[in-house]
Amino acid sequence: MKLLKIGISGVRGIVGETITPELVMNFASAFGTFINSQKVLLGRDTRVSGPMLHSAVISTLLSAGCDILDLGICPAPVLQYMVRRLKAKGAISISAGHNDSNWNALTFINQEGTYLNEYQGEELLDIYHLGKFRKVPSDRLGKVKLQKDYLDVYFKSLAQFLDSEITKKAEFKVVIDPCNGGGAGIVDSFCQYLNCELVPVNNEPSGYFPHDPEPRPRNATEVASIIKITKADVGFLLNSDVSRVSVVTEDGETLSEEYTFPMVAGYYLRKKPGTVITNHSTSRMIEDAADCYGCSVVKTKVGQTYSVQSMIDEGAVMAGEGSGGLAIREFQPAFDGFLTMGMILKMMAEKKNKISDIVKQLPKYHIVKEKIYCPPVKAHSIVSEVKKLYDTHEVNELDGIKVEKEDGWIHIRASATEPMIRIISESKSKETAQERLEKASNFISQSV
Amino acid sequence: MKKRLPLKISVSGVRGVVGDSLTPQLSASFAQAFGSYLGRGKVVVGQDARISGPMIKNAIYSGLLSVGCQPVDTGICPIPSIMVLTKEKKAIGGIAVTASHNPKDWNGLKFINGKGLYLNHSQVEEFLDIYHQGDFSLVKVDKYKTPTAEKNPTEPHLRKLLDYLNVDSIKRKRFTVVADCCNGAGAVLLPRFLDALGCRMILINTAVDGAFAHHPEPVPENLTKLCHTVKEKKADVGFIQDADADRLAIINEKGEQIGEELTLALAVKYILNKKPGSVVTNLSTTKAIDDIARESNGSVFRTKIGEINVVEGITSRKAVIGGEGNGGVILPEIHPCRDSFTAMGLTLEYMATSGKSISQLQEEIPKYFMIKDKVDGTSEQAFRIIRELKRKHANEQISTLDGLKINFDDAWVHIRPSNTEPIIRIVAEAKSQKEVEKILKKFKEEITGLLKWKS
Repeated sequence: MKLLKIGISGVRGIVGETITPELVMNFASAFGTFINSQKVLLGRDTRVSGPMLHSAVISTLLSAGCDILDLGICPAPVLQYMVRRLKAKGAISISAGHNDSNWNALTFINQEGTYLNEYQGEELLDIYHLGKFRKVPSDRLGKVKLQKDYLDVYFKSLAQFLDSEITKKAEFKVVIDPCNGGGAGIVDSFCQYLNCELVPVNNEPSGYFPHDPEPRPRNATEVASIIKITKADVGFLLNSDVSRVSVVTEDGETLSEEYTFPMVAGYYLRKKPGTVITNHSTSRMIEDAADCYGCSVVKTKVGQTYSVQSMIDEGAVMAGEGSGGLAIREFQPAFDGFLTMGMILKMMAEKKNKISDIVKQLPKYHIVKEKIYCPPVKAHSIVSEVKKLYDTHEVNELDGIKVEKEDGWIHIRASATEPMIRIISESKSKETAQERLEKASNFISQSV
Repeated sequence: MKKRLPLKISVSGVRGVVGDSLTPQLSASFAQAFGSYLGRGKVVVGQDARISGPMIKNAIYSGLLSVGCQPVDTGICPIPSIMVLTKEKKAIGGIAVTASHNPKDWNGLKFINGKGLYLNHSQVEEFLDIYHQGDFSLVKVDKYKTPTAEKNPTEPHLRKLLDYLNVDSIKRKRFTVVADCCNGAGAVLLPRFLDALGCRMILINTAVDGAFAHHPEPVPENLTKLCHTVKEKKADVGFIQDADADRLAIINEKGEQIGEELTLALAVKYILNKKPGSVVTNLSTTKAIDDIARESNGSVFRTKIGEINVVEGITSRKAVIGGEGNGGVILPEIHPCRDSFTAMGLTLEYMATSGKSISQLQEEIPKYFMIKDKVDGTSEQAFRIIRELKRKHANEQISTLDGLKINFDDAWVHIRPSNTEPIIRIVAEAKSQKEVEKILKKFKEEITGLLKWKS
């Protein structure tokens, strides 16, 4: 089957199969029409297919009469931040985040610097499907300008938000693996601003990914293998648009990406208590962290679009997901890997704790995950069939099937990006988590 | 009359109106078809100075990259330079973003093969088949290439010009030249070219900002400022290029237009003096070419209208020179394409080696009077009218290669449907203004008569 995912925040697929100039152009035309020929920011990660999408987007936005500020290779959170600073009407980010190098995607960003919300996304899709795109005559075509010096604007502002003096004094040594993606070369500036010594891994903006650009233990072997030798204080892995982070401790332990959000939340909520947004598939660690400071947790569907929008709507202080992405409303309404790393470094500096000690203080949960292949046409009906396994009063159907237990939970849902059904099970006991996973997995395998 | 359609797909490429028919999507699809046709490799991409250039160019980039080609950017660049570069760089082809002399809201794509020539008829047909079938060779990411930019895209062209021309004899004359680049791509190379030939230059309309100072065609009504400047500055000659710098019109030292037909006639006369041989030109070009060739025992071969037809004729006849009466000079020894720089170089060299002024050289060309006219008519009407006229004039000296051309003693008329508009073109030439008017009047009446009768 051909993989193409059209969602409210963008379009994602495999280059040469579903991601073609025509598709990219039609979406960019729709976006140019949607934002009424006004100023647009454009950024991309380092993927080899980037220039194809980039030139397709430029051509169509110009044709729709939009002026373009081209930020070149630019991580999504920086692009999102600059939307407001440069008073643009929106932005397009060309990056497939954590997907492998065969993929690419367009993500549409509104003038607040967040992913399009549901209403905006639906309007964009209506324009796309209608196919009536705005085309201006040649004397009203947009102009494209290369935007420079924006990294300083962003990092200055980040350093100010982090109140970075204490971090600077700590003079940390940090291993960062941006996976030759959008953060490559830019993590150097990040470290300069926070007075850290950088030990770079895969820090060439070549677009050749030595491993999948997904921050998680499986991809952390390189960082883990050099962190002790270099005597670094902490290690980070980034996805290709720098919206997600996973952490490696100074003694080489590769932490699940599930730790990133609760770790930062536990530190931030103490200073700034308030509502926290997360999705149904995120570890209960976040609820425990929120409980400590009497904060409530609101859960949304999976995806940055939903959690960040909910953060704004609920007046929450932060939002995040088990995938390693998080946003702090006071800084910007976007999942931000630089902010995430900055918060972790600041926490280490302030607490004068090693990262491994901080991890030890977190409640221990065991989370097990499984993906089962399933044709998308059947996925939703199979997911609702799984209900039979559970007592009706336990089941939450907001986003697939979520069943809450005393010691944990299980979440079963159709993937938004792949032809898969995802099962995530978490419990204080490893055996229980595994047992629940297998029960659901067997049922689904038989149904498929 | 039918409105002029805003899109034209023909042997000379694609042309359309920006904001209407010529969309990014269309441009990308053509680039994909072209890349699929050529295979994977370098493709030179250049543009004239039109405002819509970057929009179309980016669309082409996207299309080429998606089928595994590597775009090589020349930026704003004269067409002949793009063609020479395509050959010199061993690219598999090239795309020129230009609408030649069309108004500024138009733009288009012209397709160049690996030899640096426009695709010929059969190549265009194969390529358009791929476009229409939409069967593009999309590649996976592992076959993607990185676009590059050419730092000095006019260099190979300039080198060829200077290698060919007798630079020393031109330099010695220290000519004063006024040149109007018409805010077109020619401005990128012109100053360096004239400088290398030791000319003092006065340049007008050299800003390549896409805002054409006048309609980008070197026809008389666009030349007033240039004529005035030539006279005022006491220049030896004035030159005007079209927007993509493949055609040239000339102003003599008195500030008079010598007429665009004479650009080729002068070049042909000079070349045949140096090196006798055959000449290839199209059916609508001045008869002066035949007279000039006869003087030097050369022969003239006529082709259908269209640059590629002339170029193919030059190649197959091994001609020494060729071109079109619209100011397009083709010298195969430099490169087999219309080239305003070649035309300029040959004119200056002719002036230098002969020691004569441009008006004296002009006087030596047999004098003819030409009128280019048109009658409204759909292509179907044109087809029927030409069929009738062929029957009627079957016993005269006719050519039916492209519409109908009738040769008289010292005069001719050529009637053909336009490739780009719903009109019938009539061109006539004779030894006197009175005579040419008479011929034109007669044939216009015949045509309008047939039009009435048929409809």
